[in-house]
Amino acid sequence: MTDQETEWAALLRAANAGDGRAYARFLHAITPVLRGIVRAKGRALRGDPTEDIVQEVLLAIHLKRHTWRDDCPVRPWLFAITRHKVVDAFRARGAQVQLPIEDFADILAAVPDEDPTERGDALKMIGHLEPRAAEIVRAIGIDGADFAETGRRMAMTEGAVRVALHRAMKRLAELRERHME
Amino acid sequence: MKTDDLITLLAADAVPERRVGQMLPIAFLPVLAVAGAVFLSIIGTRPDLAAALVAPVTSAKFVLPGALGLLGLTGAVRLSRPEGRDGLRLRALLVVAAVAAAMVVWTLMITPPEGWAAGVRGSTILPCLLSIPALGLMPLGAALLVLRRGATTMPRLAGALAGLGSGGAATVVYALHCTEDNPLFFVTWYGLALLALTALGASVGPRVLRW
Repeated sequence: MTDQETEWAALLRAANAGDGRAYARFLHAITPVLRGIVRAKGRALRGDPTEDIVQEVLLAIHLKRHTWRDDCPVRPWLFAITRHKVVDAFRARGAQVQLPIEDFADILAAVPDEDPTERGDALKMIGHLEPRAAEIVRAIGIDGADFAETGRRMAMTEGAVRVALHRAMKRLAELRERHME
Repeated sequence: MKTDDLITLLAADAVPERRVGQMLPIAFLPVLAVAGAVFLSIIGTRPDLAAALVAPVTSAKFVLPGALGLLGLTGAVRLSRPEGRDGLRLRALLVVAAVAAAMVVWTLMITPPEGWAAGVRGSTILPCLLSIPALGLMPLGAALLVLRRGATTMPRLAGALAGLGSGGAATVVYALHCTEDNPLFFVTWYGLALLALTALGASVGPRVLRW
């Protein structure tokens, strides 16, 4: 447990200093844990929104990652965001959920290691972005293009693509929120 | 979209956001300064300002709301972290309240009872009750705008603390003008004006600080 804390904190610290690969590792490391939390709580929901909710939580973590102080433990921060967004997501889907913080410890101990089908619906939301933003999101997220390449293709500077992607991430979170209401 | 694709996107987005604690002074202080400058250029500072700032009773008109301003704003910043639970520093707030209460009690002791009502009434209740909230409104807006970048899980309390902080700062500005030096007056009406902004912050917090 303490190893996990140390590892996650180191990754997120590097991520906040601009290390994208450390950040990807951090997100990959926490995703199964988030999935375990959401799935354990989400049995009562119709359909299987687990992956949608996991993606909502990941977006929130991303957009609020500057609220983590790197001299503080990372897991209480992470679970506070997760709890907030999960409660929100469940409420938006018409379900109440109780998420006492003690539960996280149990769930952490029993994280399923199999990977689910991952059928989230961020893609639907990408359709609501304005066309150029959607193109950037598809190029980088799905086609695996880099910023320089995407910039050349869209006649934008690399910096402009970076900023456009950042805005698109914020917009995606907003769209999800509105979609829920 | 697969979650892995989303992670690829998020990891690619390295545009940094500034921290709430860094942004708040940058946004709040200029707005307060402009609001205060406009207000004081119209209505003026008190003529004996230098003496009032150092005399024990009148300096309380600056020190007490100033302390509330700091406690409110720094508390709101603490709460902007999702795991933040320690925004309300109750003990410090109680010390400020106790000092104010002690000043009231002391004034009641040295004033004959027939003078109490006049002391509370003063002669500028309305300007006081209108000016402080008016002065605090724009700074409160600036504070809330910055706090939206945070991730509070206690939006009502965070909003209230932002209101208290903005109200405290606005009261310090108002005190530069106000010549009502009876604690019965300023504890009552400054306090009420501060409470109004605190209540406003609390009422808009849950909506404005949603994320």
